[in-house]
Amino acid sequence: MKEFPQPGAITLLVNIAVTCLLLFLFQKIIWLVVPVLLALVVYYCLRPIVDALVVRGLAHNTAAKSVWLLLQLATAAMALAVVLLVAAKATTWQSSFDRYLAGGENLLRHTAESLEKVVSAFKKMGLASQLDQRAQQFTDQFAQKHLVPIALLLLKWLPSLLLVPYIVYFMLSDSTQMKKYVIKSVPNAFFERALLLFSRLDASLQNYFLGLLMLTLLDTVSLALGLAVLGIRSALWLGLAAAVLAWIPYLGSAAGCVLVVLIAATDFPDKAWMAYACLSLCLIVRLLDDFVYMPQTVGRKLHFHPLLSVLMFLLGATVAGATGLILALPLFGVISVIGEAVSQIVTDHKLIARYKAARQLAALRI
Amino acid sequence: MKLFGNGTASQRIEMLKNIPVFRELSRKEILEVDLLLHERTYEKDELIFEEGDAGHGIFIIVSGKVRAKSSHKLIEVAVPEFGPGDLLGELALFDEAPRAATAVAMERTLTVALFQAEFSSLIAKNKNIGVKVLLEISKTMSRRTRRLLLQEKSLPCV
Repeated sequence: MKEFPQPGAITLLVNIAVTCLLLFLFQKIIWLVVPVLLALVVYYCLRPIVDALVVRGLAHNTAAKSVWLLLQLATAAMALAVVLLVAAKATTWQSSFDRYLAGGENLLRHTAESLEKVVSAFKKMGLASQLDQRAQQFTDQFAQKHLVPIALLLLKWLPSLLLVPYIVYFMLSDSTQMKKYVIKSVPNAFFERALLLFSRLDASLQNYFLGLLMLTLLDTVSLALGLAVLGIRSALWLGLAAAVLAWIPYLGSAAGCVLVVLIAATDFPDKAWMAYACLSLCLIVRLLDDFVYMPQTVGRKLHFHPLLSVLMFLLGATVAGATGLILALPLFGVISVIGEAVSQIVTDHKLIARYKAARQLAALRI
Repeated sequence: MKLFGNGTASQRIEMLKNIPVFRELSRKEILEVDLLLHERTYEKDELIFEEGDAGHGIFIIVSGKVRAKSSHKLIEVAVPEFGPGDLLGELALFDEAPRAATAVAMERTLTVALFQAEFSSLIAKNKNIGVKVLLEISKTMSRRTRRLLLQEKSLPCV
């Protein structure tokens, strides 16, 4: 997405305002926004496969239908596998879950006790006992307070998520017509420029989503290798979970790290260093991610000034709560690219003059 | 299911079949190309593109007439008019050089435009269509080049 130059101050302010407005509106129709966004990600990941099939001689529609059908079969198979797995291992998982929560609690207590030994102020505060009490409360009430709402939330989202395959289908089979339909509304004067910008935006989004997938793969491999070397069980699945969680900006990486540390603390209760080693591993992978993997994969990802990122987070959270927190940055990225493209078109005096002349000619005809 | 239909398929095929650059294409191939064509209508005296503009695609005249004006003497002399079936701005398919002439509609003109990036992806996806269309474009280009070199005035060139 770097083909577009840095926006000016006015464009930047307009982009921020539009992002906030959209976040506010999105919050009202979040049941539709989430499936559309997910469908967009799936569409950009599947499109290269459709294109590859077309190159091999399949008609575009047949290729789109075949890929969509395969996606449905794969999703159904995965859903069935998950249901069977949950049914078979629900009891084991419940006890494991309790065990890992207790493990986390232990780690917290040990860390607080160590801190008390080093810093006397913490001892006076009774840091270890306070933390212990809070953690105890949290774990005791976790099932009642959080598990049921999480299950209800998943049920509530199910119909909405079922929309994803249908949206993906129409995107795969009708995206060219959709694009033609949008371009048709562009006046003749801006036609060629709009086509060019549309095509760049499309290519950038595809690169971005494919890059994100590649990044997830690299993160998974790095974490899995590190965890396997440390001797953590199910290193691959744990690495994958942490890498997928990292899709949620900032918060996701932290959540993935907590997950890994929690498991290390529980599986190795007598080796506190193991939890710290896992924490260090997560930080190293995070650094690798930022300085090596990301420039190689999502190289053209939008880079905002850190202050602007924080500002967008705060604005997003204020305008749309948790939804805003998650969607603020990606949405701001897309709005920035579109905003820059539109500002390039509407500030081209030659094109504006041509547009006005064409309108006069059309009025004369009427 | 088509959400964005535009006229019946047979009418569109018929219309496109009459355009020399698509005449070698089969019905199925024309439908593939049609997905990439953008229909634009220009009023009398409306600019289609201007000399010096960055060219991003070609225009094919379906109906109407177009006049070309240029600061380049040779083109000005050779030019004059383009009619149904003629190509405009075909050089933009091969390089990103600025347009060599200004194209103005002499009457209400219907064109179909083929965007350079979409044409490249079509060539990559379907070499058969690419070869047929490119061959027709090459024929037009070689005819125009010859006439320019020989200073003949009967065929326009932009």
